[in-house]
Order: sequence, then C-alpha cells, then structure tokens
Amino acid sequence: MIKRAQVSLKSIWPEFHKHQQHVHLKPFNTFTDYWKLWFMSIFILIVTALSPLGIVTYIHYELIQKSIDTELNLRTERLTATAKSSITFFLEERLDAMIFTVNEMGYEQLANDKKLAEILKNLKLGFGRLSDLSVIDMEGNQITHAGPFDLKGKNYKNQPWFLESLGKNNFISEVFTGYRGVPHIIIAVRSFKPDGSFFILRATLDTKRLIQKLASYKTGNHADVFLVNHEGILQTPSVNYGNIFEPTHLTFPSHETKSEVMMIPQKKTDPIISGYSIISTTNVTTPFIIMVQKKRAGMIHVWLDLRRNINWALGISIILIVLVITFASTFMVNKLYQIDKAKAETMLKMEQSQQLASIGQLAAGVAHEINNPLAVINETAGYMKDLYSLKTGAGNDAEMVELTNSILNSVDRCGTITRQLLGFVRQFDIKIKKISLQKLVDSVLNFHKKEAEYRGINVTVSIPDTIPDMETDSGKLQQILVNLINNAFQAVDEDSCLDIIGSQIDAKNIEIIIQDTGCGIPEDSLTKIHEPFFSTKQEQMGTGLGLSITYGLVEKLGGNISVQSTEGVGTSFTVTLPIKIQEEGLT
Amino acid sequence: MEHVDILIIDDEKKFAAMLSKRIELRGHSSDICHDGKTALKWIQKKGDFVTLILLDLRLPDMYGIEVLTEIKKINPAIPVIVLTGHGTEKDRQQCEQLGAYMFIHKPLNIDELMTIMKRIKESSK
Repeated sequence: MIKRAQVSLKSIWPEFHKHQQHVHLKPFNTFTDYWKLWFMSIFILIVTALSPLGIVTYIHYELIQKSIDTELNLRTERLTATAKSSITFFLEERLDAMIFTVNEMGYEQLANDKKLAEILKNLKLGFGRLSDLSVIDMEGNQITHAGPFDLKGKNYKNQPWFLESLGKNNFISEVFTGYRGVPHIIIAVRSFKPDGSFFILRATLDTKRLIQKLASYKTGNHADVFLVNHEGILQTPSVNYGNIFEPTHLTFPSHETKSEVMMIPQKKTDPIISGYSIISTTNVTTPFIIMVQKKRAGMIHVWLDLRRNINWALGISIILIVLVITFASTFMVNKLYQIDKAKAETMLKMEQSQQLASIGQLAAGVAHEINNPLAVINETAGYMKDLYSLKTGAGNDAEMVELTNSILNSVDRCGTITRQLLGFVRQFDIKIKKISLQKLVDSVLNFHKKEAEYRGINVTVSIPDTIPDMETDSGKLQQILVNLINNAFQAVDEDSCLDIIGSQIDAKNIEIIIQDTGCGIPEDSLTKIHEPFFSTKQEQMGTGLGLSITYGLVEKLGGNISVQSTEGVGTSFTVTLPIKIQEEGLT
Repeated sequence: MEHVDILIIDDEKKFAAMLSKRIELRGHSSDICHDGKTALKWIQKKGDFVTLILLDLRLPDMYGIEVLTEIKKINPAIPVIVLTGHGTEKDRQQCEQLGAYMFIHKPLNIDELMTIMKRIKESSK
C-alpha cells in the first residue's frame, strides 16, 4: 500500500525538483531555477486569469448594490407616500366633519348636552373612533360635553393644546394623555358667535384606530411604521424605538411635505432605510411625521442569497482556475525541464565527443611523430639484444640482455599507447557486419579463460538465445567488450564474480551489463572516467585511454553507456546499443 | 642475380639499418632503399629475386600508396608488408584493396616478421 502510494506520488511529483541532482548538466542548462520558474508561471497566470474575474465581480456587486439601494429607496418612498396619504385622509375626514358640524349646528344646538350627545353618536356612526365631543368657551371653560369620561366643568385654559389652538381656526394636537390618562388626539374647530366671541368644538380621537391603520402598512417582520412629532417623540408605538412618548432622537433634514428617504446606519446590524413625511391637511398642519422604516438586510435577502450563490460559484471557479493553472504550469515547466535536460545532455555529449575528437586529432599527430623514433629505438635496442644473444662470438651478457629487454618492454608499452591514440582517429570509421552477441562475448572471454581459472574468478555469461543478431561494427563492439572486460579483470581480486548479462530492452535496442564485485570506482572519479588520460590504476598499469575510447566507440555505434559503482562493492557498466546501426546518423 | 629475402623501403636510415642488421643476424638477406624512386628502380631490376618487401607509407619523394601501386604493376606476386607509424583505417583499407600482404604499425616485432617470412617462404615452395 505504502509502495503504491509512493509510486503514484512519484508519477505526479514533477521531475524538475530533481534538478539539483544533475549537477554535471548545470553548465548546459538554459534555466537554473525551475522552482522559481514554476512559481512565476503560476503567479503570472493566476494574476492574469483572476484579476478580470475579480474586477468584473466587484463591478457587478457594486452595480447590483446600487440598483438594489435605488429600488429599496423607491419602494420605501412609495410606501411612505401611501401611508401618509391614508393618515392625512383619516385626519382630514374627521376635521372636515367637525367643521361641517360647527357650521351646520351653530352654538345654540352644540351647547345643548342632549343635542351634543346625539351629534357624537352620529359622528361615531359616520367616522368612528371619536371618543367624546365638547364645546369650550374662549376662557377655556367646558360648556357641554358628550362622551364616556366625566370632564364636565373642567377648565382648559392652562392646557397646552388650548393655548396652542387659540390663534387658529382648526387645530390637530399631538398625542397626549391629558385629564383622562389615556393617549388621544384632539381635533378642535373654532367658531365665532355673532357677538364676536368664539367657542371651540373639540373632539378627541382614540389613537387605536390610527395605530391599526399604520399597522396595515407593515409588510413583513422587518418593517416599522409609526408617527413621531417634530421633536422626534413617538406618537404611536414603534418596533425599533419602543413605546409611545419615548424619544427617537431622529432628526429630519427636510421640512417639506413630500416623502423623503434616508439611510440610518446602525452600529451592529445592517443599516435601516427610513422614509418620512410631514403630515399636513389642506386646512391645518399637523404635528405628525410619518415614519416608514425597513431593515435593509431583510429587504435584500434575495440578493444576499444570490450573492452567496455567486460567491460559491466564484470560489469554486477560483479553485478550479488555480488547480488548472498549477497543473498546466507544472506540466509545462516539467516539459521545459525535460527538453532542457535533453538539450544539456546532448550538449554534454557533444562536448565530450568534441573533446574526444580533438584529443584524437592531437593524439594521432603525436602518435605519428613518436612512432618513427620509437621504431628506431626498438630496432636499435633489438639489435643490441641480438648482438648479445644471437651473434656468434659476442659474449652472452645476461645483464645486458635484461637491460635491453627493459628498453624493448618500454618501447612496446609506448607502442601500445600510440596505437590506442591512433584508435581515436580510427574509431570514426564504421564497418557494419551481422554478428551474434553471444559468439562475440565468447570470443572475447576466450582470451581471459586461463586467467579466470588461475585467479579463481567466477565468470558467468547470461545472454538469451532470443536476442537477434546485431548489425553493427563488430570490431568496435569487440573493442568495447575487450576494454570493459579487461577493466573488470583488473578491478577484481581472487574469488570474485564477473557477470555479463545481455538482454533485449525493446524492438530496437539491446543492453549489455558487465558487472563485477571488484574494488569499485571512487565517487569523485565517476564523472571523470570517460576523460582521456584519466586513470585510477597505479602507474605502469593504465594509460587512461581505455574507457575514454570505449565511451567514444559506444557513441559511435549509436548507443549509450552508463556506470554505477560503489567503492569496495563493485562496478556495473551498462551499454545500450541499437540492434541495427543507423548509417545515416553516423558521420 | 643474388636473391634478397627482404627489401626495406624506409627513409628513416637508422631504423632501416638496424632492422637490416637484425634480419641478417637471423640468417636472411636484406637490402635497403631510402626513397620511392630508387625502390622502384631496384624492383624493376631485381624484382624477381626478392621474397618480401617492407614498405613505409611516408617516403620523401612519393607516398607509400603510389609506390605500392607501382610495385603491383611491375610484379603483382611480390608480397608487400606496409609498415607505418601513423596509418589510418582509410590507408589500411586502400592498401588491402591494392593487394598489400599486411598492414603493420611501428614499432615492429622482429619475431613476428620472421614468422611471416617463414610462412611466405613455405607457401611459395
């Protein structure tokens, strides 16, 4: 389970995070910091993709907000106007009835208790909610009274409503409790008698009807419709401000009679939209201001629901965009990394092969110049040896023979080096032949049979018969195998193992692994082993050309070679070669 | 005319002289030419009396390949061993095509030369 998780994580995890591991490719990479590239790509794409989305959403919100606010204001204004006209009509109707009564009946009839009671009864029938009716003279003395309260003989001279109504023909009071201790409104009409004095017909109006009327304009839980006076004292109960006579601390910027709407900000909740209008009848200005208040949040809940949905959609879109951008960026940067890596590898190979080629040119020149004098030394020393060992009559000087032998051995060694150097040049020509890998490996191992038996090295060859014959340069392939197997023999001690494993990896390529349980290659040498004249072997043992030539040969055959080695454990060379060499690719 | 076992064509005088002496020490006769033209004249004169020719590829007056071509024109039967200090694969292929007996890199192993000599003599019997 854990293994599967690791595998799947590995397949998603971008390859470019390994960038630091390929230090040897660094000089050839176009980009150095893939993480930065990745972050930049994601950042730029996200900013580009999300900014318009954010701006459009913001503008959309603002527009909707504005149109909703306008709509709310209009609705509140309409409701205020409707409620106002209804209340105005209610008051006007009663005032007009009173004016009619005064003008129609005259003082004599009104001063009659019985008649007054009858008039009250009729008025109640016609208009309702008139609780009593009185006639008061200009001194404030109540002349007659009809109604449920016992107010006969009361003097109103010091009552605020009386003082206020003195200079006016018609008067509508604020709500007050007065002598009866019940909230009521007074409607008073002044009438002059023929002698020039005047009397007042006063009716009191129960506020219940008014409150009911206001309540009929309440739509929903979030609406509040009430009356206040010009000082902001409640004239009817309010949901938002409390009971009658409580102060609201509201101020009214406009004193015109048309409806106005204002927004009252709240500390903790959504603001309240407040419509108001001064109530004024054709005959008299009333002390009332009608207030229609609506909680903005309650009115815009449809919009809020819509906004929540938009926010959800926006959120999901943002997550999707970010995910897609992240995946796309990862994919693109990864591709870029792979291309860059491939490019760096090609450039590294090119540099290596150029290095090899130029070394080859130089080496060939050096070999040529050295081989001729070397041949002279060889023949001269050979002749000296001959003189002591072959010529009759000359003393057979063993020491002299030994000395010349050492000269000859050195010359032979120099000859080997120059031959290998010339090999650099020679490896650029290809001669294709059909060969069996199995047979080729066997022929190479034949040279080492005796040595392996003598040193007790266990050589195993595992090349299945199913591997097809190869069409390649057999000489070069043989040289590759000789070099690698020679190296392995030099690396292993007695009783070690050497495995040669051949396998077909796909339709076009085979793989040859030559692994030993020898001394291994130090880690810092691994990157240098292909360089000419680099050798880890002791002096006199290696020229440092073998692996360099091998690398060049493998490349020439269109293949790859890689090495894995652990010091003290062993080394494994993996050579991948095409079964059929592509001639057009060879130059 | 006296028979010569090996004709050495090489401009490196010291090398030719030493090789010649070593060959003679081993009981074979030899002669030396230091340039192409002399060598060709020698072969025209005594070509039928030589067993083997050792030919250097780089001569002061002619390129070894030309000399080989001319030798083969004069007498295609004479085995010619091309001896070189810097021969390329291309040279080797060209020499083989022209009918060279062998293509050997300097420095030369005298014992190897003797073995070849023996083989040629045996095959011509």
